[in-house]
Amino acid sequence: MTSNTAAGEISARRSWMAVLSRASLTELEAKRVLVGELPALQQVRPPEVGMLMLRGRVGGTGNPFNLGEASVVRCAVRLGNGALGVAYAMGRDKRHAELAALFDALLQDPMRHDELQRMLIQPLQAMQAQARASRRREVAPSKVEFFTLVRGDT
Amino acid sequence: MNTATSLAAGLLDEVHETQSAFRALLDALARPGQVKTLAPALPGVALGGAMARLLLTLCDEETPVWWQSAAPDLQHWLRFHTGATVAPDPAMASFALLTDVASAPALADFAAGSAKSPEYSSTLIIELPGLQGGTETQWRGPGIEDLQRVALPGLSTDFWTQWQVNHAAFPQGVDIIFTCAEQVIGLPRTTRVSSLEGV
Repeated sequence: MTSNTAAGEISARRSWMAVLSRASLTELEAKRVLVGELPALQQVRPPEVGMLMLRGRVGGTGNPFNLGEASVVRCAVRLGNGALGVAYAMGRDKRHAELAALFDALLQDPMRHDELQRMLIQPLQAMQAQARASRRREVAPSKVEFFTLVRGDT
Repeated sequence: MNTATSLAAGLLDEVHETQSAFRALLDALARPGQVKTLAPALPGVALGGAMARLLLTLCDEETPVWWQSAAPDLQHWLRFHTGATVAPDPAMASFALLTDVASAPALADFAAGSAKSPEYSSTLIIELPGLQGGTETQWRGPGIEDLQRVALPGLSTDFWTQWQVNHAAFPQGVDIIFTCAEQVIGLPRTTRVSSLEGV
């Protein structure tokens, strides 16, 4: 039972962290006003830029191969004595990681969780889902189906 | 979540602070017995300044660390900032943290490397109550012009006997870094130690 709740908490946190990571800096900056005044912010891991190797699987065998490297920025912050907020995001924008980590820390606070979930995560999530769907519709017509015709030699 | 709430910060200017710590350590090991000074302790980390900074400088995900006294908070802190895992026994440690030499395992229990790869040996980081005021010992070897007198407190004759065995096993054997608050003294395996009583 406890492990179930813990697993639920982890997957909930994972989903809001993904939303924060995909959001643009402008969107996050715009939502910064929602939280108002904050206790002192401690940078447990100051924002830092690094590289990640992206791996993919292709073909019938499904063997992993190295697709290429991507720059990633990460950050960990704590507000006062609260929970640790952690963020990873693609790119090199340190402010993005910092804001995402800040929101992650606030979302773990039961007092603020529901409000932030409603005002911040849900709208962003809806926008991201919409963007993904419209992109999918755009590229769908360009899909090519390969098939071989049987040659009528006989 | 409990460990995460007590997680302390690492170095704020990681690149430059690790570089200067590394430089101080190089100097300490190149000039055995001379005291080198690192920077102050880190807020919220229950380790001396030199010890904490050396750990953040030297460790990464390929260097298991053996802790004489298990401290889950500190182990989690080191894991978060460097990726270093906890070594289950001294023979598997790249680095070993000792705070009480009297009850520590023998030097021979740590990894000594092999004749082919002597670099796969443990490096011991030992926190002492001070770096002077103990029984005087005389150090000779590479990096010491003539003779270096060192008086480390809290080390028994037995420890120095073990050190002679460790030195005799060259090129294998462990290296030691003694720390006290911000200061370090290096004792590489090339250094011969004799005490005034002629041990």
